[in-house]
Amino acid sequence: MPDTSTGVVVIGGGSTGSGVLRDLTLRGIDAILVEKGDLASGTTGRSHGLLHSGGRYCVNDLAAAIECVQEGRILRRIARTTVEDTGGYFVSVSQEDEAWEPRFVEGCQKAGITCERLSVEEARRREPALSTNVRTVFWIPEDGHLDPFYLVVGNVESARRRGAQVRTYTEVVGFTRTGNRISGVLTRDAVTGEETSIGCQAVINATGAWSGFVARLLDVEVKVVPVKGVMVVLSRRLAHAAINRCHKPGDGDIVVPGLSVAILGTTAVKVPHPEVLPIEWNEVQLLIDEGAKMLDGVTTSRAMRAYAGVRPLYDLGAEAEGREMSRNFAVIDHEERDGVAGFTSIVGGKVTTYRLMAERVTDLVARRLGVTTPCTTAEVPLNDREDEMDQLRHRPAQLGVPKPHGEELALQPLLCECELVRPQDVEPWMHDPAVRTLEDVRRRTRSGMGPCQAAICSYRLAGRLVTDRGVDGRTATRAMADFLETRWRGVRHVFWGSQLRQAQVTAGVHLELFNVDRQLMEPQSPKLAEEGRGGGIPAEVEAVGQP
Amino acid sequence: MKCDVAVVGSGLAALVATRTLQRAGRDPVLIWPGLSSLYFLYATVDVLGYANASSAQPVEEPAAGVRQLIAQNPDHPYARAGLAALEDGSSLLLEWLREAGFNWQGTLNRNLLLPTALGTPKPSCLVPTSMVAGDLQRDEPIAFCGFDGYQDFVPELAASNLSGAWNGGGRTVTAVRVSLPGIKPDRLFTSIDLARNFEDATFRREVAGRLRLAVKDSGARLGMPAVLGLTHDTDVHAEFEKECGHPVFEIPTLPPSVLGLRLFDRLRRHVQETGVEMIWAAPAHDAEVANGRCLRIHLKSAGREQPLEARAYVLALEDAVDGAWRAGAHTVRDPFFHQVLAQHATPAERTDESLFAPQPFATVGYPVSDRLQPVDKDGHPLASNVFVAGGGMAGYDPTGIKARGGMAIATGYRAAQEAMAA
Repeated sequence: MPDTSTGVVVIGGGSTGSGVLRDLTLRGIDAILVEKGDLASGTTGRSHGLLHSGGRYCVNDLAAAIECVQEGRILRRIARTTVEDTGGYFVSVSQEDEAWEPRFVEGCQKAGITCERLSVEEARRREPALSTNVRTVFWIPEDGHLDPFYLVVGNVESARRRGAQVRTYTEVVGFTRTGNRISGVLTRDAVTGEETSIGCQAVINATGAWSGFVARLLDVEVKVVPVKGVMVVLSRRLAHAAINRCHKPGDGDIVVPGLSVAILGTTAVKVPHPEVLPIEWNEVQLLIDEGAKMLDGVTTSRAMRAYAGVRPLYDLGAEAEGREMSRNFAVIDHEERDGVAGFTSIVGGKVTTYRLMAERVTDLVARRLGVTTPCTTAEVPLNDREDEMDQLRHRPAQLGVPKPHGEELALQPLLCECELVRPQDVEPWMHDPAVRTLEDVRRRTRSGMGPCQAAICSYRLAGRLVTDRGVDGRTATRAMADFLETRWRGVRHVFWGSQLRQAQVTAGVHLELFNVDRQLMEPQSPKLAEEGRGGGIPAEVEAVGQP
Repeated sequence: MKCDVAVVGSGLAALVATRTLQRAGRDPVLIWPGLSSLYFLYATVDVLGYANASSAQPVEEPAAGVRQLIAQNPDHPYARAGLAALEDGSSLLLEWLREAGFNWQGTLNRNLLLPTALGTPKPSCLVPTSMVAGDLQRDEPIAFCGFDGYQDFVPELAASNLSGAWNGGGRTVTAVRVSLPGIKPDRLFTSIDLARNFEDATFRREVAGRLRLAVKDSGARLGMPAVLGLTHDTDVHAEFEKECGHPVFEIPTLPPSVLGLRLFDRLRRHVQETGVEMIWAAPAHDAEVANGRCLRIHLKSAGREQPLEARAYVLALEDAVDGAWRAGAHTVRDPFFHQVLAQHATPAERTDESLFAPQPFATVGYPVSDRLQPVDKDGHPLASNVFVAGGGMAGYDPTGIKARGGMAIATGYRAAQEAMAA
């Protein structure tokens, strides 16, 4: 007898898995999502956040471009508050770029992408930071910024409200079968090591770049090519809109405005394993150099950190490599292909088309389960209720604004001044057992993502772990240190200019004012697991130390 | 503009150098480039907390520890400055603090062990009197006190850590929290707001009353965030202690550091009031050198460059915080002589994988002569009348050994002595 039973087990807590979970529950199918790390801790949360208009793919990958057009419009409807309608520019800076232009314009027409040519003067009036290198400019109103964390959390919370379960830091380590049919999964808790079985009628493998590892547990093959992409975060946004280079997609040709920052993307390097993502200096340098060709201020702005993500490119068996490979996706019906009934994989694709991917794979699985309820994820909004989480874009207004002639400043307290995160934004997550590390809190609230990279809020969050969650000081201190170390791993790669001052303040506060290095030498300090490998703060215990 | 000795810097090294010159009857000008670590990282003067960056055992006698460090490591900034500079500089600072109306205590022969805002014991040498009662070499129980809505000192966190670390957990450590009269927890307030409030007698009495009720143990000392007054802290601490009926000690909080702010503000005001000219917010750069001497440096004051001619210069840029270096992706240069101080193949090379380990970048600086003059690759002084103090020196990394204040004092004092002789 399994410990729990459900209809469908979804493996993978990225945009695809969370989209599948929601799609299943909207069709009335019971489901449990299991994720070996935190939600959005793999590919989704490490994307650059560009909501693709399709312009990037319209020459080489028309099918993917058309999907982007359609899905972008749907997301603006159902997930309005996770999208900022920035619009985008495609700019030419060289003769080769100009030769690409007619193909780009034709591709936009074929894909149905709105595209308007602007004079350089008009473009610079709208975006004063456009470089003097820029020769021609196309305005693509449907490029946007997508907050990947809010997207995943929005999908998951929508599914939870309809009865779905989510288990983070829970890795699938095996399957149970009855004949050639999957009858359940065996999972292991990444912190406690505890094993649990979940009985089910079907399993959907939505693990992206990790799909091959999950499939191998069943002796079936899924060929996914993990391709690393490095990104650099600048402390200023530089432009209102997304800036794309108008050429054959290549390295360092996008600058995405993400709330208050700009993200330079990206590189493409095949890697042997989706968790081996070294950030190389030549990649960082290339992103800065290429970004500077399109926008002024790239070299003079403060680079805050670099990070690496992994694309889950599906190997269709063609000769294509890296960027040449399609960004399209595929549903693999393992019953038909491999004779393993009840197991389906969804591979390839990208965050912009996550909903369509979820729809396709759920169509197949629902049909097999005899469920005929049609997909409604394109119509039902993610947050079909009044929800604090919806208010991200309105946060500055909620915080209060200084009144020029008023008696007092009506500002609310902030836990993270850099990202305008209030204590009450963090508080609910302190009680959520799915949250195991302060990185998990960061993904849900943006705390620690600003210029100081958690120097200040990490102490306040550690304090909350003690007061709100009731963990002991050592565990809270360790969690604080792990959080700072994870941030540091990105900061190190852009260590020049005024970044040095910030690093000195961070080190000074924590090592000198707090003596945290000596606290960490205390022999009893338990070492928590690394990010993405589970571990962390135990679930809530009765609060101690309260008056 | 002309002067006798120009001291460039905004940290403790610059202040000590300036005071040393002033006490010797010289006429220094203090050029302040901008906010320094004093605003963020200072609370106490740490002389030597640990013998090395990986030792967990606190140094008991800082002077003896420094002597040993000098013997083992003749290139260390302490060795360059000399133990005498540390001793004389510390006496000068303590006397100066007294004269400036500050109550500080401590001797180079003994470290106190004070709990931080994490509850971790930390060795410190010279400290404000308002921190002394926190010494963990004393036995009385400790009650950490926090305030509703105040996030920059969390008593429960400090209590939990200290109860594990303090003599195997044998002593009593508790945490209490009280609300603050007139301060709404749903409105933004900072450590500085609280420090101003504590200067108000009515506010203080009300908080003391609430704490007396909250702290059950009549023998406990109270560990408070360092917000007990901004400018009248000496009186505030003494009166608050009386009103609480318990010994009270301050603990440094997250920045802004009220303790560092008080220190800087009091000392620079005193030095100005006693006749030292100070040029505010003027980053200095570009030394003009002829015949082995620096003729002038340039100040970037509002909208224009201003040359400054001095007989001698003390470059006491304490660290990266006050902008000592120009760090590109590969090359670190100094702003005065445009020397290449370090070359790195990648920026990441400047750092350790761990934030909590010594950072290679911290040791970048001018190699110096025996007289603290910056020297070129061949060891020749770049200018015979320029002297380096503080974080501008190569090999200067006070973080792991907890020696920020002591190293600033020793090098600041010594550089000032050399500047007088130049």
